[in-house]
Amino acid sequence: MTLLSLRNIDAYYGRAQILHGVSLDVAAGESVAILGRNGVGKTTIVNACLGVATVRQGRVAFNGRDIGRIRHFTAARAGIAVVPQGRRIVPGLTVKDNLLLGGAVNRKGPWTLPTVFELFPVLRERAEVAGTALSGGQQQMLAIGRALMANPDLLVLDEPSEGLAPVIVDGLAETLQALARTGTAILLIEQNFGLVHRVAERYYVLSKGSIVEAGWLAGLSMETLKKHVAV
Amino acid sequence: MLIQILNGLVYGGLLYVLAVGLVLIFGLRRVVNFAHGSLFMIGAYVGYTVTAVAGFWAGLIASVCVLTAIGAALDRFVFRPLQDEDPIVTMLVTFGLLLVLEDAARTIWGKEFLTVQPPAILSGVVHLAGTSFPVYRLAVIGAAILVAGGLSLWLRFSRVGLYVRASSVDPLTTGMQGVDTDRLSAMVVAIGAGLAGLSGTISAPLVALSPSMGGSILIDSFVVVVTGGLGSFTGAFIAAMVIGQLHNLGVVFVPAAASMIPLVLMVLVLIWRPGGLVKAGA
Repeated sequence: MTLLSLRNIDAYYGRAQILHGVSLDVAAGESVAILGRNGVGKTTIVNACLGVATVRQGRVAFNGRDIGRIRHFTAARAGIAVVPQGRRIVPGLTVKDNLLLGGAVNRKGPWTLPTVFELFPVLRERAEVAGTALSGGQQQMLAIGRALMANPDLLVLDEPSEGLAPVIVDGLAETLQALARTGTAILLIEQNFGLVHRVAERYYVLSKGSIVEAGWLAGLSMETLKKHVAV
Repeated sequence: MLIQILNGLVYGGLLYVLAVGLVLIFGLRRVVNFAHGSLFMIGAYVGYTVTAVAGFWAGLIASVCVLTAIGAALDRFVFRPLQDEDPIVTMLVTFGLLLVLEDAARTIWGKEFLTVQPPAILSGVVHLAGTSFPVYRLAVIGAAILVAGGLSLWLRFSRVGLYVRASSVDPLTTGMQGVDTDRLSAMVVAIGAGLAGLSGTISAPLVALSPSMGGSILIDSFVVVVTGGLGSFTGAFIAAMVIGQLHNLGVVFVPAAASMIPLVLMVLVLIWRPGGLVKAGA
């Protein structure tokens, strides 16, 4: 069953068109990656799903429902949780408060404060510390934990490996693999091919706001990587 | 000296109740609300009108209710439609509202100064350190402490309080978690306006009511908000108490310079800490 479906969308910030006729699908329980260099419009795909970027053409549907004109708070209610680029840990809130904020939608599911603490024990140890005082890797755990608190059908991660040491990225990959095994669909927007390779089953390559290639990850050629992803 | 300190606490308390509404509105809507002084003034007049027919407590409740409703309307019909505009546009609109509300008050209640008597239960004096002090003034200090404590508990321990704290520093991320930030902002602007009504009504027995009464306290309230740190509730409380004391001591000891003292304090604090005493969200 298709969970997220983008059909020929044109997305804009103000008058600037960023996405040109983008189509992609994410089925329930699958892990899909969007690859591409900086500035090609990867984050705009997330923002189009959240209603932050304006979709003027095409259709964005989630669980069969048109969400192209929604506000950013309704995406979470529909079942889309986002781990945003740069993590966006809310300043002034403790780790626990940041997690509770993620549970604002009150969707039923396996993820609660205790189960998130079980997944990331370090967050329990530092529950009363300001979220912004955590290390980069711990902040990433917090951002993922916050997204899980919404018990989403689709977890969208925007450049989660950005700024993290390779050993932390390894841990992140294991976490995402474990989440994928629980049946949570994952849309991974990433430049780190090592992470993509360990998590995703299918991929889309974005270039200059358009999808230029798509397929199973096993079939992704070095040539494509060099042309559209490697810096 | 004790009396001067208590009077400073009274003014600081009034300032806090008014300024915390500005903090709430700025935090959620990023609006510098010049109309807030007029809301204080309208609150005082509504309190005066209802007090005349149904007593002080009915006036107090009516004022808070009417101003809360005005705040909700202000958010729905002014702040929300203008939220994507340049902040200067919204600021100018609130300045225009200030003038409109002042004229409306002048038309409805006239130019003459009006007075409100404190309720009978609070009309006596207490004897402190060999001198007397009005019970009503002590009650104003108590009301400010109740508002500060209540707001603090609400913000710290309730779900909605958590969303308000989060949205006041990062509304986009808060919205991404499923919080309807528009409804939250409407509620917070309504509460902020209701607090302006409360502040106006409890100040009514202490000052003479006039359509321009919101002007001077609005300036001191802005000084409180900026000195405390834009968007900081704790900072607003500290700054209100300090400015209340300085204002009052200034009136007693250097009356010619009294109105300048809060502004000088604000400049000194901003030189020392450009973000104000306490960071937003605290």
